[in-house]
Amino acid sequence: MDLKMITRVSILIALSVVINILESYIPFFNNIIPGLKLGFANIIIIYTLYKYDSKTAIYVSLIRVLLVGLLRTGLFSITFFFSLAGAILSILVMIIAKKIKILSIIGVSIIGSVFHSLGQIIIGIILLNNKNIIYYLPYLLLFSIPTGIFIGVISKKILEYPKNI
Amino acid sequence: MIKNDIKLIVLILILVIILMLVLFKDNSNNEILVYYEDKIIKRINPNIDNTYTVEGYLGDVVIEVKDKKVRVKEETSPYHLCSKQSFISNSYTPIICLPNKIVIKFSQKEDIDEVVY
Repeated sequence: MDLKMITRVSILIALSVVINILESYIPFFNNIIPGLKLGFANIIIIYTLYKYDSKTAIYVSLIRVLLVGLLRTGLFSITFFFSLAGAILSILVMIIAKKIKILSIIGVSIIGSVFHSLGQIIIGIILLNNKNIIYYLPYLLLFSIPTGIFIGVISKKILEYPKNI
Repeated sequence: MIKNDIKLIVLILILVIILMLVLFKDNSNNEILVYYEDKIIKRINPNIDNTYTVEGYLGDVVIEVKDKKVRVKEETSPYHLCSKQSFISNSYTPIICLPNKIVIKFSQKEDIDEVVY
């Protein structure tokens, strides 16, 4: 990794951490499903994935989870493992979806959002040892469509700017 | 590409419908079950207004029953999501308090008495 790359990754991580923290102050359908959010930080991940490469996107995604954990929820707390599982599954699926080239950026964003939810449900069932968490799944899947489209569209618009970070 | 995106959306919608049909088959609400991990730690009668305290992973969780509805009144957690969820009155949206490993849901009460006679 050269110096330019390190700087670039740092800026992207800083952006996604700030967006993540800002987003947590926006209440969004919290009465229907607690913890449901738009996933603005995913804009940065998708941007990185399309502008640079898979490896950079993995770095940004995982270090973001680590930093947000450190700053907000506490490292290695339950919430931390939820974000981690969601982030890992979502970034891997998005990389695969981008490589096979059958989905547009919006489709990739939707599928990333779907697998983010799925990862959290799976880790929830494992960590909390409670099958009832699966009741969240239909709601999360349903909301991952509009949020996925929204994030996909924003990412696409940002990618249209010619300037690099 | 856009066509495939639409196919993906339709696929997710079908999945949601199947999941809902499977998960929300029984909509019964004559008993409230409180889980810690996978163990039932409290059975509550929704017809009696009262507050109950159970021990969660991070501290006490105060559960309030009022007008056949239930909510988490107080709890210790980073975002207080389960107390923000407020009252629930059916089995479609259980209260899931992740940091405290507590789940509160409506369920069907098993009537043992009726079996005897």
